[in-house]
Amino acid sequence: MKPQVAFFDFTSCEGCQLNKLNFENDLLDILKHIDIVEFREAMDDKADHYDIAFIEGSITSPSCVERIHDIRRRSDILVALGSCAVNGGVNAMKNLHPIDEVRETVYGDDKYLFATLPAMAVSSVVKVDYEVRGCPMTQQDFLKLLIALVLGKQPPTYGSPVCVECKLKENECLYNRGMVCLGPITRGGCDAVCPSFGQFCTGCRGILDNPNIDGMLEVMTSHGISLDEAKKRMLLYNSNEVQL
Amino acid sequence: MKRLQDVEHHETEDLYYPTMCKVTGAKQITEMEKWYELEMPDGQSLGHSPGQFVEVSAFGIGEAPISISSSPSKNGKFELCIRQVGTLTNVLKNYETGDMMGIRGPFGKGFPMEKLFGKDILVVAGGIGLVPLRSLINYVLDNRKDFGRLIILYGAKTPSELLFTDELETWKDRDDVELHVTVDQPDETWEGNTGVITTLIPSLDLKLNTTIAAITGPPVMYKFVVMSLKSKQLPDDQIYLSLERRMKCGVGKCGHCQINGVYCCQDGPVFNYVDLKPLEEAL
Amino acid sequence: MECFSLLRSDVPALIDYLGDFGEVIAPHGKGDVSYSFEVVRDSSDVVLDYTRTLLPLKKMFLPPVEKLMGFSLKNGSYEQEDVIVAPRVFFGVHSYEMQSILRLDHSMLSGSAESNYFKRRQSSRFVGISFEPDEFHFSESVGVVIEEMEGFDLFLNEVDGDFQLYVLTDSGQGMLNGFDKINLTEPEVVEGRHFKKKIRYHYNRLPRVFQYAYHSDVWADVASRCVGCGACTLTCPTCFCFDVQDEVEVTAEDGMRQRSWDSCMLSTFAEVAGGENFREKTINRTRHRLYRKFKYITDEEGLPWCVGCGRCTAFCPAGISLPDIVNELIQEDEKAQYHRTVRV
Repeated sequence: MKPQVAFFDFTSCEGCQLNKLNFENDLLDILKHIDIVEFREAMDDKADHYDIAFIEGSITSPSCVERIHDIRRRSDILVALGSCAVNGGVNAMKNLHPIDEVRETVYGDDKYLFATLPAMAVSSVVKVDYEVRGCPMTQQDFLKLLIALVLGKQPPTYGSPVCVECKLKENECLYNRGMVCLGPITRGGCDAVCPSFGQFCTGCRGILDNPNIDGMLEVMTSHGISLDEAKKRMLLYNSNEVQL
Repeated sequence: MKRLQDVEHHETEDLYYPTMCKVTGAKQITEMEKWYELEMPDGQSLGHSPGQFVEVSAFGIGEAPISISSSPSKNGKFELCIRQVGTLTNVLKNYETGDMMGIRGPFGKGFPMEKLFGKDILVVAGGIGLVPLRSLINYVLDNRKDFGRLIILYGAKTPSELLFTDELETWKDRDDVELHVTVDQPDETWEGNTGVITTLIPSLDLKLNTTIAAITGPPVMYKFVVMSLKSKQLPDDQIYLSLERRMKCGVGKCGHCQINGVYCCQDGPVFNYVDLKPLEEAL
Repeated sequence: MECFSLLRSDVPALIDYLGDFGEVIAPHGKGDVSYSFEVVRDSSDVVLDYTRTLLPLKKMFLPPVEKLMGFSLKNGSYEQEDVIVAPRVFFGVHSYEMQSILRLDHSMLSGSAESNYFKRRQSSRFVGISFEPDEFHFSESVGVVIEEMEGFDLFLNEVDGDFQLYVLTDSGQGMLNGFDKINLTEPEVVEGRHFKKKIRYHYNRLPRVFQYAYHSDVWADVASRCVGCGACTLTCPTCFCFDVQDEVEVTAEDGMRQRSWDSCMLSTFAEVAGGENFREKTINRTRHRLYRKFKYITDEEGLPWCVGCGRCTAFCPAGISLPDIVNELIQEDEKAQYHRTVRV
């Protein structure tokens, strides 16, 4: 029997889910391997048990916590999809401010009507088996994971920076173009898609293990941005990962 | 320096293509380790020496360096024993008799048998380190009169992790093998030695001028075993160690297994301790 | 050795002429301020005055990503990927780049000689060109002068804006047969091209410096600035480390095994399946990189495995300079010697 697969969304822009619907030709190949049983963006079936649950979005409220626990109980394999789910993503920027201040800014006088938590990675609430990084996650990356799971092998993990892929493609380094790029300390696997099109890396796939944060801040400031701006850039996608 | 004009086309090799070998036997021997017997195509022989390794290939996953576990004196077939610690090895555990396994090799330098003839052989095996040393042990047993004493020290974490238990029994029963087995964490059934492998060394009665030590085990083990042997005053050049590194290509190109200036896959994996001593990254 | 004069304006005609002997590959502009070796489509696009290309010419012999085989998961079988390379002419190559290819020949062909590399390297001809050193070039310090012609078939030396064309091999002579825009002339020595960056010692003294530099404090200082991106080694013309990965298609039936350049500066490079990492810290890796350039292979072959192209420095986001590191090690070594002497 084909694996029963479900997709769930939490606090996110749902861009990762939409990205999957853009598979076009590959979609039919994918459906040879899996049965999609829950996918709000495309259908509305329900099931009691999932072989693989894909989770998009970060955990930001008590009701999210309850729901993710419920999904975890019904799932054999749970995969975090996209940077919100993997490490809190841009949502986690709110964690840099006192939670009361955040509530007031968003809800004004109604702030006591809405319970809120710091934006958390799915893995800080339940066990996450695998992750697909990126904002949004790339189709390539998602497919690689899916094929790996179908073949019963470990999905790929990425321990090398974006710079590696840039160099292999012989991209002109954006630092040589006067830009400030997070490629040197950002987890690769994205085929350096942003730098390849002249856009500096914003760190959406997360910071590598054991990064040289001080060294990186020095690189950024020595290329013309303030320390404050450098820190902001580093935190954009990684407020939960980097202590500054 | 080697120059392009020094090389003829026929001297070059297709280095990265595996030979498909048939699995003729497979058995899960512990929770983590599986044993395989393989056969080269067309009756070819692998032609290895004890201590050498092969690159095992599983398409879609990749390759990993695996020690050859059988003696070269075993004709026609060869054996591997693979611990399931990574993606590749976890896939290999599904291989059964009749399946085809991709093999490149044998690679590297094994134990220098010409220097071992006539000597007392002291085998020190920690955990999965018994796998390459079993090749040496069985070679010595198959050519028993060519060697002096055969002393085997073997340590595992728990009794259930002991490899090749049938053979351990055979070795134990032989008069011409001195086998000492120890475990770190005994269970209620264990009646043998307890403690790390170095605890077996002090009481050994070694003839210093004629003993050669062959050591294989986890990275943390080497320093301590070498220290114990040195305190028995065994000369450095009579100690051989087989090291583990990320030997990706097996042919001295890819760089992953480099230990300072030497390639583990070419200059090793078996090294004389004298050659390792100056290498700060070795032990 | 014959020498001809060639007008700068006639260089495109020469490039077109060389096209009869194979695909011509030459430096082109890339991005805003960079260069890369590309196949020549229009000879007027070729850049004659360039500093250095992003990737070294190595990419033509040891591609950044190379398919080794295709396989079928269904049948458990594979198909070899044939390497078929037509004759190629590499035009506008700097002396340090040529020297790096000669070193790469040794790395890939000594021991087990790799057929893939050999096939790509065969039937290639090289036309060199002089260059004006910028703030990063230091090839003279590692024994490679601007006019070093070893390995080339032809060499263009710029003299007052135009060129002197040296014929160095029979093959070079053959390529010029019938080309009528050149005139026999007397070779001139060009003055005034100076290297701005230098290593303070002659390169033959460096192995001794490195012999005592293993525990130097310099490594920790470099490691504190290094962000571990791997740019230095991935753009190095004499580095040749690689990784091999299997890729499976969406059908989950077929796939391919490919290799790609790897870097000993990346933290996972020396990690084994069990999780042990044999060069876990940046300090171990920065040291390993320089020892590979100035000690390990150098001890065996008598040559530095660095050709002074300056890429590792020019493309380092942290501005870490390889010649500066070497000069710091030299300075430290001198201090240590001084102290030893004073004590005696």
